[in-house]
Amino acid sequence: MHVVIDSFGFLLGGLLVTLELTALAFVGALLLGTVLAVFRVSPVPPLRVAGAAYVEVLRNMPLLSLLVLVVFGLPDVGVTFSLFTSAVLCLAGYGAAFVCEAVRGGINAVPVGQAEAARALGFTFSQSLRHVILPPAFRTMVQPLVNIFIGIALGSSLAAAVGVSELTNRTQLLNLRSAEAVVLFLVSGAMYLAIALLGGTIGGALERRLTRRAR
Amino acid sequence: MIRTARRRRVVALAATVAAVIALAGCADSGTAPALPGSADTSGYDAIIAGSPVADPSAITPGSWADKVKQRGTLNVGGTDAGPLFSLKDPSTGKVTGFDAGLSQMLARYITGKPTANTQLTITTVDTRETLIQNGTVDAVFATYTITPERAAKVAFAGPYYESGDAIMVKADNTSIKGVADLNGKTVATEANSTAVLALQKAAPGAKTLLFQEDAQCVAAVQQGRADAYVLDQGILISDASTNPAVKVVGEPFTQEPYGIGLPLGDPAAKQFVNEWLRKIYTDGSWAKLWTATIGTVVKGDPPKPPAIGSVPGS
Repeated sequence: MHVVIDSFGFLLGGLLVTLELTALAFVGALLLGTVLAVFRVSPVPPLRVAGAAYVEVLRNMPLLSLLVLVVFGLPDVGVTFSLFTSAVLCLAGYGAAFVCEAVRGGINAVPVGQAEAARALGFTFSQSLRHVILPPAFRTMVQPLVNIFIGIALGSSLAAAVGVSELTNRTQLLNLRSAEAVVLFLVSGAMYLAIALLGGTIGGALERRLTRRAR
Repeated sequence: MIRTARRRRVVALAATVAAVIALAGCADSGTAPALPGSADTSGYDAIIAGSPVADPSAITPGSWADKVKQRGTLNVGGTDAGPLFSLKDPSTGKVTGFDAGLSQMLARYITGKPTANTQLTITTVDTRETLIQNGTVDAVFATYTITPERAAKVAFAGPYYESGDAIMVKADNTSIKGVADLNGKTVATEANSTAVLALQKAAPGAKTLLFQEDAQCVAAVQQGRADAYVLDQGILISDASTNPAVKVVGEPFTQEPYGIGLPLGDPAAKQFVNEWLRKIYTDGSWAKLWTATIGTVVKGDPPKPPAIGSVPGS
């Protein structure tokens, strides 16, 4: 147990890196995912194809393969990002595929009569999206998006396999030094649990606020 | 409606396949590790079959060794992805190497069978001690460095091999000659290796990058992510012999004694295994195994086996 107390600062540093990874990746995933969802529902066929292709490739690939490809495969074609940047790019790109589907599901949940009425009133495509379709869609999307946030937070632990010095990587290093696997992984597991619970709590509060406003 | 949806799916699938083929074409096949293929293992098998078998009176009923004998196989904790020490041939499923060979020799010593006498459970640095403590494995052969912290959790027989950490750099690098030059540089090493701790002690000013596998660390050096790679000398020499883009510099800067992990609190098991180690030191089986595995990349005669019990923790 004293290995945890002695190295708590080191572990907290790892937690900070994990939080940075998760925050940057989630924001990136939200932005890219929303753009992709708009592509997929747009009336322009090439955009729809591009959106569909992106989602089918990224969603059906293991995150670890993607990380290894970006970290060890890209330099062979001349593109080298730092380890942290590679991890953020992979997590964001991977999460964007899931965010796209969650957003598209939320958009499809809005009754088609709303879109037709917006059209009849003369809204353009982007206007109807912004004012009529997306606001109620967000309410439906909150819980799936929380799922994706938790998935990104826990998936960030895979970045340890490609050298990023985040929580799991530092736990492994401490275990190497002290051979206290059970205690260390319980502590780091509790930290991941805290991040996931935080995401869930904020998501729940957001959902209640959006539902209240709608009434 | 259905027709357009199917067409969309086909186009997306075609785009995926094209992307995968394009990416695969970019892969640098020159640095891929050579597959073992159908290498001839008859010499290796002969060494195992020629190693000593225990006198039945040496195994007391109810002891650790007796349980292995009754079962007919030795449950070994180790890896199947370690070049020179324990590597699986994908085409035959056989695991060969220095560590694997020693575990097979110990299994033959107890059970008398020359082949198919071990059951391998993959262990990592995170799981080794736990798997011995809960009895899932009988012994761990996994380039397991003996340290006093680990000796508080498991018993160590041996040491059976003295290794050392060395440095690998890109072939055109002339600025790094020894461990003192690593301060201020970026150094890659394996996350499951004591090389990390040795590096922090010998070159505290070095920035460490941890990866999961040997191949990833070599790629990091080649691609310029890291200036150097520190690991067991035998493994580095094996990598450098197949990869002209990297080279090994300097002499080993640490002493890493490898031991066999055994259950704590069973002094009879430790004594039994140490007696077996003494036997294979004196009758030459240890040296023959060294020549057939590590000796294929490290030049020279087999070294003298380390003195048993000579390291704190063993």
